Amino acid sequence: MKHVIIYVEHRQGETRKVTFELATEARRLADQLGGEAHAVVLGAGAAELAGRLKAYPLDTIHVSEDRDVDAFLLDPVVDYLQVAATAIGPSLILIPNTLSGRDVAGRLLVRLAAGIVADVVEVRVEDGVVLCTSPKLGGALTTTCALRPAEYGIATIRPNSFEATPGGAGAAVVPLEKPAKSYAAAVERDVEEGAGELALEEAPVVVAGGRGLGGPEPFETLLKPLAQALGGTVGASRAAADAGWVPYNLQIGQTGKTVTPKLYIAVGISGAIQHKVGMRASGTIVAINKDPAAPIAEFSDLMVAGDAFRIVPELTKLIENAKG
Amino acid sequence: MKIVVTVKLVPDPNAEKRIDPQTKRLVRSGVETVLNPYDEYALEAGLQLKERAGGESRVTVFSMAPEPLKETLRKALAMGADDAAFLSDTALEGSDVWATAYAIAHALRKLDFDLLIVGGLTDDSSTGAVPGALAEHLGLPCVTNARKVEIAGEGLEVERETDAGYQTVRTPLPALLTTALTFGEPRYASLKGIMGAKKKTIASMSLADLTLEQPVGTSGSKTELRSFAPPAARGKGRTVEAADGLAGAQAIFDFLREKKLV
Ligand SMILES: Cc1cc2nc3c(=O)[nH]c(=O)nc-3n(C[C@H](O)[C@H](O)[C@H](O)COP(=O)(O)OP(=O)(O)OC[C@H]3O[C@@H](n4cnc5c(N)ncnc54)[C@H](O)[C@@H]3O)c2cc1C
Ligand SMILES: Nc1ncnc2c1ncn2[C@@H]1O[C@H](COP(=O)(O)O)[C@@H](O)[C@H]1O
Repeated sequence: MKHVIIYVEHRQGETRKVTFELATEARRLADQLGGEAHAVVLGAGAAELAGRLKAYPLDTIHVSEDRDVDAFLLDPVVDYLQVAATAIGPSLILIPNTLSGRDVAGRLLVRLAAGIVADVVEVRVEDGVVLCTSPKLGGALTTTCALRPAEYGIATIRPNSFEATPGGAGAAVVPLEKPAKSYAAAVERDVEEGAGELALEEAPVVVAGGRGLGGPEPFETLLKPLAQALGGTVGASRAAADAGWVPYNLQIGQTGKTVTPKLYIAVGISGAIQHKVGMRASGTIVAINKDPAAPIAEFSDLMVAGDAFRIVPELTKLIENAKG
Repeated sequence: MKIVVTVKLVPDPNAEKRIDPQTKRLVRSGVETVLNPYDEYALEAGLQLKERAGGESRVTVFSMAPEPLKETLRKALAMGADDAAFLSDTALEGSDVWATAYAIAHALRKLDFDLLIVGGLTDDSSTGAVPGALAEHLGLPCVTNARKVEIAGEGLEVERETDAGYQTVRTPLPALLTTALTFGEPRYASLKGIMGAKKKTIASMSLADLTLEQPVGTSGSKTELRSFAPPAARGKGRTVEAADGLAGAQAIFDFLREKKLV
């Protein structure tokens, strides 16, 4: 492992902050390993996004706007990454730990005979060996794993783990050769839900609602105004997503998103272990719950026992007033 | 349709977990072993598809685990799987994702199937990388996070969850599928199912039955656990009983002020 390659996730050129976090971290690690920092950007909108990525300290950005990338499910992405990694040579590959990032990583590790460490929040190089720190067993432990010396290694990185700092002299943008392959799993429809909201993983404040809200309306009328007043966004427990009150991409927890905002306000959420693992690393946790004995009290900095329908509107008013 | 569902056997997710400081492995003794919750959804999907496809359809569950856990597979047989295959070998101990996927893929080659259904995640290690790795080893199309599956001609039409919403994907068979929890709640084993499970076959395999070209277990792994520590403790905070809405709001507001969050 000498170079560092980041896989850039995006939709039509729209990307998340984690991309720039990875670009910044790639430079730091490449310098420690004595190699170069590369990025791979694929699909519609890739060229435009590569232009924006030039503001970050990368050496080379590999681009393809091949239509197959969006027409087929991940197969082309894995092929292109393999082509790029083989051309670049021994490297550490950083992939965002998201739903599709995990899929890409699992497949790429076989192509490159690479070890993988998942859900990484810190990477270090010691005596040329890459060490990755990640929370394990639902956050009950923090482990450090070494990628054994090999040509390739993969780390899937939890969003919000690194700073994103622009800099550098402007990377070279180069085209990627199309791999000669045919693909099986065709994407027929691609639908966005809850678009236009601030990305959950990046929001500095998350106001999350659970079964205690009793229906979809309070997410709009109660939580959204509070989130807006705090400059944040709305999330949910699985119970709320399962009930169809919010789209699934707002779900926080083991099967949803992992969030690490400065402030997490849990409204009508009991605090089941599967929810906890997705939000326990938040800076400050406040719970509003009818039941003072709800498990969430055990890991909240402040638990206010009371009716959310009465407390939340008053809280939103207090915050609005303070802002003047 | 011949369906294989992979099932990991994991310590009860609700039990406290710890790692043995000597072996650096998860302590499994004294904790009940269950089917990985995500794999119960995969099995539910398999059973539903079997019912829909009809004919000679069958569901085989596969697991790789230490020998003493073998009987836990009866839980899957009681839910309705027709039979089971079980890979166990002391040489597999300490396998990481790479070695695990490599060994499982070789074992699955011994089974005959049109559809391989894998859980999305394991409750005890949560890398989510095994499904993709299996698809690569076996050369199968890989459709993840399925919440709805229709049999469409010779293949499947799958509605899958994405980070942004959902997609509809069409794939030929054989293929690998992973399930989202939205697929539907796993069924409970009926009394009849539990009784019937006792008579179903669990076929055992060891590494001697597979032709592996590379080592597995600790020596065949590409990662190595160096150290572990409990995370910074998050102490229980204050609890305030709110007399009314305003009092509750004021308590939170004052707290946020104090923390400089407003
Ligand atoms: C394999 C698996 C994976 C899972 N993954 C996830 C996941 O990713 N994310 C997740 O969140 N869950 C997940 N779960 C589900 C989890 O176990 C819980 O069932 C779920 O988190 C409960 O959601 P809840 O807290 O909203 O509902 P409940 O547990 O029903 O809690 C509702 C709370 O609202 C309070 N309340 C009621 N009315 C009011 C009111 N007027 N004002 C204030 N408070 C009120 C109640 O006191 C209660 O504490 C998973 C489960 C399994 C088995
Ligand atoms: N030892 C195992 N035996 C059977 N299936 C497994 C095993 N390990 C992983 N799997 C399957 O792979 C899925 C994802 O696992 P993981 O990538 O470890 O999170 C699980 O939900 C299982 O279906």
